Amino acid sequence: MVTMNAEKSGGRRRMDDGNPSGQSGSGPQGGGSGSSGNLRPPSVRVLGFATGVPSVAEAALAAAEAASPAAGHRPATLAQTSKEDNPNAAVYKKMEAIIERMQDENTGVPVKTVKSFMAKIPSVFTGADLIQWMMKNLDIDELSAYREDLYCLALSSQQRSNRLSLCPADEATHLACLMSSHGYLFPIDDHVLVVRNDNTFYRFQTPYFWPSNMWEPENTDYAVYLCKRTMQNKTRLELADYEAENLARLQKMFSRKWEFIFMQAEAQSKVDKRRDKLERKVLDSQERAFWDVHRPVPGCVNTTEINIKKICSNSTRLMATPAATPAHLISRQIQMLKQRLDRRNIKLSKVAESYISFFELYIEYDPFFTPPEVPNPWLSDNAEFWEYEKQVKDVSARRVKRWAFSLKELLADPAGREHFSKFLEKEFSGENLKFWEAVQNLKTLPQQEVPDEAKRMWDEFLGPDASIPINVDGKSFETTKKNVEENPDRWCYDEAAAHVYHLMKTDSYSRYVRSPMYTDFLNGSKKKTSVKGIRSIVSFSGRKEAGAT
Amino acid sequence: MPPKDDPETAKLRKELEDLMNKIKEEQKKVADATMADACASVADAPRVRLVTRKMLKGHINKVNSVHYSGDNRHAVSGSLDGKLIIWDTWTGNKIQVIPLRSSWVMSVAFAPSGNFVACGGMDNMCTVYDVNNRDSTGAAKITRELLGYEGFLSSCRFLDDNILITGSGDQKITHWDLEKNVKIQDFVGHNGDVVSMSLSPDNNTYVTGSVDQSCKLWDARSPDCKQVFFGHTADVNSVCFHPSGQAFGTGSEDKSSRLYDLRSDQQVAQYAPPSGQSGFTSCALSSSGRFIMCGSDDNSIHIWDTLKVQHNGSLSGHENRITSLSMSSNGMALCSASWDNNVRVWG
Repeated sequence: MVTMNAEKSGGRRRMDDGNPSGQSGSGPQGGGSGSSGNLRPPSVRVLGFATGVPSVAEAALAAAEAASPAAGHRPATLAQTSKEDNPNAAVYKKMEAIIERMQDENTGVPVKTVKSFMAKIPSVFTGADLIQWMMKNLDIDELSAYREDLYCLALSSQQRSNRLSLCPADEATHLACLMSSHGYLFPIDDHVLVVRNDNTFYRFQTPYFWPSNMWEPENTDYAVYLCKRTMQNKTRLELADYEAENLARLQKMFSRKWEFIFMQAEAQSKVDKRRDKLERKVLDSQERAFWDVHRPVPGCVNTTEINIKKICSNSTRLMATPAATPAHLISRQIQMLKQRLDRRNIKLSKVAESYISFFELYIEYDPFFTPPEVPNPWLSDNAEFWEYEKQVKDVSARRVKRWAFSLKELLADPAGREHFSKFLEKEFSGENLKFWEAVQNLKTLPQQEVPDEAKRMWDEFLGPDASIPINVDGKSFETTKKNVEENPDRWCYDEAAAHVYHLMKTDSYSRYVRSPMYTDFLNGSKKKTSVKGIRSIVSFSGRKEAGAT
Repeated sequence: MPPKDDPETAKLRKELEDLMNKIKEEQKKVADATMADACASVADAPRVRLVTRKMLKGHINKVNSVHYSGDNRHAVSGSLDGKLIIWDTWTGNKIQVIPLRSSWVMSVAFAPSGNFVACGGMDNMCTVYDVNNRDSTGAAKITRELLGYEGFLSSCRFLDDNILITGSGDQKITHWDLEKNVKIQDFVGHNGDVVSMSLSPDNNTYVTGSVDQSCKLWDARSPDCKQVFFGHTADVNSVCFHPSGQAFGTGSEDKSSRLYDLRSDQQVAQYAPPSGQSGFTSCALSSSGRFIMCGSDDNSIHIWDTLKVQHNGSLSGHENRITSLSMSSNGMALCSASWDNNVRVWG
């Protein structure tokens, strides 16, 4: 009933990854039946929706491109850079080496076209043949070594538990299963990628679809593929339940782009229909297997799904360890440790105390503890919060109180900064704040304006005829002078600014906080905003810089 | 088998070890109390009642990273579907969707000014988009493509609109001048991938966490490491500065979260999940520093009282591993990103 005639195995030749477009997808290839494995199926390509919803013209263009396959769409840089980086690369290489041997014309697994009833099944081999070949051609140590390698990949715990010693046949079956789970070979009519040691038929995946090509198919591609499947009116191509579900989900997701996806699917299906029947069978199954790897049946391990951060770091760690630490590195470490020993560290109890005081200081401003004055926008559905943050008038007492915590808090609040500058003006020491603000401003300027601005600032604040002279100590003056003359960059005033900031902090700021101007303002704001939940005035003594510097 | 050391190296190694022990002794001397004891007098913290205020739906693949803008309202999220989405976390609306050239995004950052977003990942580069400028297709304009990494980009943060600091899988920390489009400096920061980075509140220093199980404190302007912190026994997946700028929290693969203090130069507290089975991928601190929140691979966010070292509760809702947390700077909302394709705003 079933007759087999041996023939060339499909999918033997490794296609040049860079130039698969040499294979024209329009029209049947080679004419022969069966020698179809190395065809590049036109239907899988990567064309992201890089530009949002495309116009009809664009869609038509894209569909046309889809019909004449060109692999140039793949993000070239990504494919190039990540191929070597891929943590699985070494394992893929090994698996591909075995596949290469399996596909050898003379010594490989016998690939046949099987006649069954009315139809022909091209380019298949049985599971039994495969296992037999593996047992004959791969020695047992090699098998288990491969197995160990493959375990490096993220595989299910169930598979892990099978890790005990296995007899050769099981070992071979197991390896075959692992290879199949990566999509190098696949059962011709099952979505679940496993290999059984019996007469089920299997087929090799075309190299184009090998995982080593770093496929990252997008959902749009999957949608096109599923959509195309619905157009082929054949029972063997009917969607499985989970695929139908996926299709429905994708259709909902891409509702606006669905027209585009449909057009692509139609174009691809047209190309497919022009192919030879047997060839099409092979291609269909290979494409299906590709998606079984990348969008597996629920419950199956997705071999492409790995925590990329971890896998990558593992690979680099392996690279990093073998190198012995050279002597100079060690001495550098020693130096660092010595410095560390010299550090004066604060006792933990003191540290804890500072946390507590910091917490007490900020408890009013932590929405976890005290409801904010302006209703939390997430609780109240009210966006006035953001307006309040920006406004300079009618500031609440709670906000004003915060100015006394530290100079940083004061300067962070636009209202606080304004009030502080008024205070300084009254004291005739506004130049410090002006200088500090100018330095902050310098950091946000476009690069080409920085040198000019730095020079201008020099003339304004530090030069001999400065209009608003500031007082800095000799050392920072010299450094700044050198900086501005030699290399006027964004940070040339940092040392001077730090000095000025320190001056403000120790001098004007402490006077500001104690000044009647501030207390009046605080009391005034208290009267104005009789907000519930505000506690009595906090005494500022001693706690000012407790946790916030 | 490591190669045999020559006598000189051996001597150095010995010295190194002695120093290490000395430091440990010193640390012990300084650690005169445990955090929980020292804070015993503090009143118990109320139970945190956070609920999902907004479910930000739109990504169609795992969301790997989320970061708040300085305005406390907008946030950017990056997903393996190859999109960055800028959200108004209050309305839940998408402000902008930025299609990426590579879908392997692992880290995103919002400039505090809200003008730029940066992202990068397995494409081994960092791309900076100008949120306020669109190209002809309506997508945000790429202003900079920062190349030269030998490993994936794992973390990036804007110091301001001009300076970006990145950490990458090639163990390096890189400072970029975005205006000039030049590297200011790059240097090997860790003995393993740099995985996470957090800027201090005053922007003068930053800490990095690495798979080499250590955290380091750096000066934002020079390549000198100021302090090293050990203690974790597995990858440090996340670091986050304490709002006081004197300490930082961590979340680690070793199923613990810790608090390190800069002044006492060591770990001051360790927070363990009640089940003991949750590895941590991300962390954030409340604005008073009282609570530390850690996103976990057990699908929930764990919360501890930092002072009394008590587990305060956990937030559940996500249906898969949580990858990233971001606290708005006013402490009102917490954003979490997850492999379940969603971003949630807790308030």
